[in-house]
Amino acid sequence: MSIEIVHRIINDFGALLLFTMILIVAANQISGAIYAVAAQSLFIAIAGAVLATATGNVDLWIIAGITLIVKAMVLPWLLLWVIRRMDVKREVEPVIPTLTTLALAMVVVVMSFHLSASLDTVRQTITGNALPVGIALTLNGVLVMATRKTALSQMVGLFSSENGIFFTAMAVNKGMPLIIEIGVILDVILAVLVMTIMVLRVRSTVDADIADLHRLRG
Amino acid sequence: MATCYAAGAFASLLAAWSGRLALVVGHIAAFAGAVVGIAVSLGILLGDPVPTLTLQLPTLFPFARLSLAVDGLSAYFLLVISLVAVAATLYGPAYLQAHSPEAGPGRRATQVLALNVFLACMVFLCCAGDALSFILCWEGMTLASYVLVVSDDTDGENARAGLLYMIMTHAGTAMLLVSFLALTERAGAFDFAALRTAASGLDDSARTALFFMALVGFATKAGVVPLHVWLPRAHPAAPSHVSALMSGVMLKVAIYGILRFGFDLLAPALEPLPSSWGWTILVLGTASAVLGVLYALQQHDLKRLLAFHSVENIGIILIGVGLAMIVWRREEVGGTLATLALTAALLHTVNHAAFKGLLFLGAGSILCRTHVRNMEELGGLARHMPWTAGLFLLGAVAISALPPLNGFVSEWLTFQAILGGASIFHGPSGLVIVVSAALLALTGGLAAACFVKAFGVTFLGRPRTPHAEHATEVPFSMIAGMAWLAVLCVFLGVAPGYAMRLLDAPTVGILHGYGASAVVTAHGPLVLSTALTLPGVMKGTAISMTMLALLLLALLPIAWFLRRGLRPYPVRTEPTWTCGMSPTARFDYTATAFAKPLSLVFATLYRPRHEVIRETAGSPYIIKRIHYSGEVVDLAETQIYHRVQHGITALSKAIRDNSTGRIHGYIGFVLGALFLALLVFGGGQR
Repeated sequence: MSIEIVHRIINDFGALLLFTMILIVAANQISGAIYAVAAQSLFIAIAGAVLATATGNVDLWIIAGITLIVKAMVLPWLLLWVIRRMDVKREVEPVIPTLTTLALAMVVVVMSFHLSASLDTVRQTITGNALPVGIALTLNGVLVMATRKTALSQMVGLFSSENGIFFTAMAVNKGMPLIIEIGVILDVILAVLVMTIMVLRVRSTVDADIADLHRLRG
Repeated sequence: MATCYAAGAFASLLAAWSGRLALVVGHIAAFAGAVVGIAVSLGILLGDPVPTLTLQLPTLFPFARLSLAVDGLSAYFLLVISLVAVAATLYGPAYLQAHSPEAGPGRRATQVLALNVFLACMVFLCCAGDALSFILCWEGMTLASYVLVVSDDTDGENARAGLLYMIMTHAGTAMLLVSFLALTERAGAFDFAALRTAASGLDDSARTALFFMALVGFATKAGVVPLHVWLPRAHPAAPSHVSALMSGVMLKVAIYGILRFGFDLLAPALEPLPSSWGWTILVLGTASAVLGVLYALQQHDLKRLLAFHSVENIGIILIGVGLAMIVWRREEVGGTLATLALTAALLHTVNHAAFKGLLFLGAGSILCRTHVRNMEELGGLARHMPWTAGLFLLGAVAISALPPLNGFVSEWLTFQAILGGASIFHGPSGLVIVVSAALLALTGGLAAACFVKAFGVTFLGRPRTPHAEHATEVPFSMIAGMAWLAVLCVFLGVAPGYAMRLLDAPTVGILHGYGASAVVTAHGPLVLSTALTLPGVMKGTAISMTMLALLLLALLPIAWFLRRGLRPYPVRTEPTWTCGMSPTARFDYTATAFAKPLSLVFATLYRPRHEVIRETAGSPYIIKRIHYSGEVVDLAETQIYHRVQHGITALSKAIRDNSTGRIHGYIGFVLGALFLALLVFGGGQR
């Protein structure tokens, strides 16, 4: 594959990722957001595979495989299982109206493109438009975490935030060291496990969620 | 020496068989260590020329070589430590047995282990030849003494005192550590020689900053006002022979640190020290001396009173040190005044170690026989414990700076130095010195008043409680411990000229000028004279302690004669007339009453608070019972520490009130901050 084709493919995947991001922000049901984030991970895995064939980098194949299995399959399944298990409130429960959040997300995306234009030297080393898309995904993930009341939807935000970082890392021309990427994935797995356990435990003892934590203030 | 202390530490293992055996063996080992310490230090101090003992230790850390280096100053402090350690280890086993006979082998083992570690750390701290072993020993000393402080009783008071001690000294150690690390960073090595070279390249402000950081660390340990708050709590809490060590010796180790840092490590190559150092120490010393004795006056807990007196005596030592720092290497003064001031400080160091050790051991004897520390519940002990009473009286006379004992000698020298300084400096700085001299005089008077109270209320009069009534004399080994220190007090008092010989090595070693004996004993070892070569302002004065002692001895028969022989009429001894009531112990002068006039005079400082509750029966004129309670506050505690505490509480409350506790808000903050950072710093690369 020639460089231009790779660039175009990466750009297309970037657009798809942004689209899934909007789906996550706009989702009414938690399960919808989870499917969207699974799709996002799937696209990243495919993009990784494309980059791997283009560069011949074996590490990227491994990373793409791990992403596919862990992020696109196991973790979404785990979250869905938790929802089924808890069997309560499937709504997203935003802190501010979804429409406002969407507007903010748009602002974030625009700002990311604007920013990455100024980060020209960094952008040189990254394939296609991966950098602004990565920044947008990361910041939007944090935005989702900030605007959702329940722990589960915050986990979804964490996921997409992580995906943004991942996408950028993959698209670096020279490729990131394998150990770092695996470390990042392990981080996410651990975070999700801990948060899942915590959500289940808190639910089973007191009927409270993240939003109620402010009551703990002395 | 190390072998002995190590043996002592291992002796604690013997506790598996018998607590008592561990106690005795551990103390004997420490005793042997102390004797070896005396021998080593005397060998160095009396050697001519003074040898410097250096010893490479096996490499424990890959990044630093540990070494010991014993020069004159180290050897002198080693001597001070060992002298008191001899007494404390003689005294210890019997005291611990008598004070808490029910303690199990576990506690005994801990105490023996901690005591040996404590002594070893102090000894090797003074001999340390590099920064790393200095800091390690410093920490070991703190931790071991913490263990000893909390080991004595199981009540919460000791634990609280220990915690306060830990926090204060660790804050101090942190400052010290920063100072050391800044130097080692510059030197690239840990040994003192390298640090010295590194420090000689520093500019003045950096040097001063480092010195003041180290000073905070040492002053916390030394209990200098206003960093003294832990001292009156922690010292009384430890077992008495450990109190003697902590008060008599551990504080001195901090003085050693100040001297080592100020005159040796951080000193510029040839110029005088920055003048702010000496003046700060002089002012702090004066404040400590006066406030220490003033608060001591209002204490009715015997050991606490002694602890406050340690603050006072550290102040007196620091006056000498400060003055020496001020005048050292200043051209117009000449070298003699610095030597005189430093001699006074060092002599007071050993003197205070001797008499404060003696007094704490005496207090310990009382404590282990009566289990009471409040002197209002004692009284009349002189009849039951004549040896203890006599030795305590000796210590009290010495600490009150009365001739012919040792306290007088060093305070006299301090006065000579201060007055010499006052005649040199004019204007405001001269005034500071004069005020400091006046306050030192006040301190001496107040200390005497305080010990009249302490001795009178504790030993004279009638027993106020059954505890005091049934006290018995302590066993021989405890008396021997006290007697050893009493002999030191008398020797240093009557023939101080010989002690000057020992002071030569440290004074020459750190001042590189005149030796102590050259300045002080110009007319033979029995006469103390301050041969100051000052620019014609003040002639040196001389005093012979030996002659003074003989004179006092000669006066003794006259006093006896005046009391007994001059009465032309027969004398009948009867109980005091008490308006027809039968006299009880409640009629005696109490400690509170004794201190009352002074608490009125110094009401501004004490802010006394007292309260009288009357219980009447029917008519206000028939009083069934009166409760009196009163207390004075420590000015440093209320004015500094409580304010800081309030400030921190208010700040945390403000932070708590302003934080929402909403996790979304926090994540939002993170998002906003990220965004802003990207905007600001990302844009800058264009």
